[in-house]
Amino acid sequence: MAAVFNLNHHATYAHWHFFTMSVSNILVIVAMLVLFVVAIAAPFPHRRAAVEEDR
Amino acid sequence: MSAAPAPSRSWTVRVRQLAVGALPPEKLLPDGQPSYVSSWIYVFGVLTLTSLVVIIVSGSILALKGPGWWHFTGIGHFFNSIHLWAVELFFAFMVIHLWGKYWMAAWRGGRRRVWVTGAVTFLVAIPCALTGYVSQQNFDAQWISTQAKDAMNSVGIGAFFNLLNFGQMYSYHVLLLPVAVVALVIGHVLLVRKHGVVPPFPVFDRDEASPGQDPVAPEASS
Repeated sequence: MAAVFNLNHHATYAHWHFFTMSVSNILVIVAMLVLFVVAIAAPFPHRRAAVEEDR
Repeated sequence: MSAAPAPSRSWTVRVRQLAVGALPPEKLLPDGQPSYVSSWIYVFGVLTLTSLVVIIVSGSILALKGPGWWHFTGIGHFFNSIHLWAVELFFAFMVIHLWGKYWMAAWRGGRRRVWVTGAVTFLVAIPCALTGYVSQQNFDAQWISTQAKDAMNSVGIGAFFNLLNFGQMYSYHVLLLPVAVVALVIGHVLLVRKHGVVPPFPVFDRDEASPGQDPVAPEASS
């Protein structure tokens, strides 16, 4: 990863009142939230067939 | 009228009867699941288990080869990174799984122990991972251990967990806490097999609800 991104510097922080967090941590949390929403909303392969089979 | 069979005097027979009674083979290794299990959210539970296997295997290789190998050879760096990133993914997958089960109220229907074992696994996995930072045997580990020692002292448990004691922290990281995590995960999976996956919340059709009745919680408004 260091070959792709230059990691040889201090982390960049987002600061808002009492809230302080590194931008990289914020990006990871946002990515997890996006993944969670996709996991809920995305159709699962063969789900329709499974529902039909249950009926 | 047939008499009940007398209890066996053999402890192995009694244990077998108890085990089969609690978790019959068709529940332990089922050949089908309800249709609502066909969801991506359950894939994250399986991905968590997969990450745990990678963590255990890569960690065992690191323990076998030692710090000289993981610090100073290319293949050692590779396995060190595999171990670190498997832990990162383990927590990411586990937290998404936990979010999903929280919003599904997965403790419903007598599944409290399933929820509790999952939640406690998450809590035990945190010190299991953090003790890895102080087991690296480099300046990073020294810096983290002194900062963490201050944190332990500030909450009054510094006498029990000495983060500057490498032997204690390494034992926690490679034996005590991983054994606890694996035991909890096994218990969690067996409880899921025993109780089954929690069914979804019932859906109420807004058009079918009577006037003045809350379609989401009809029993609460009656």
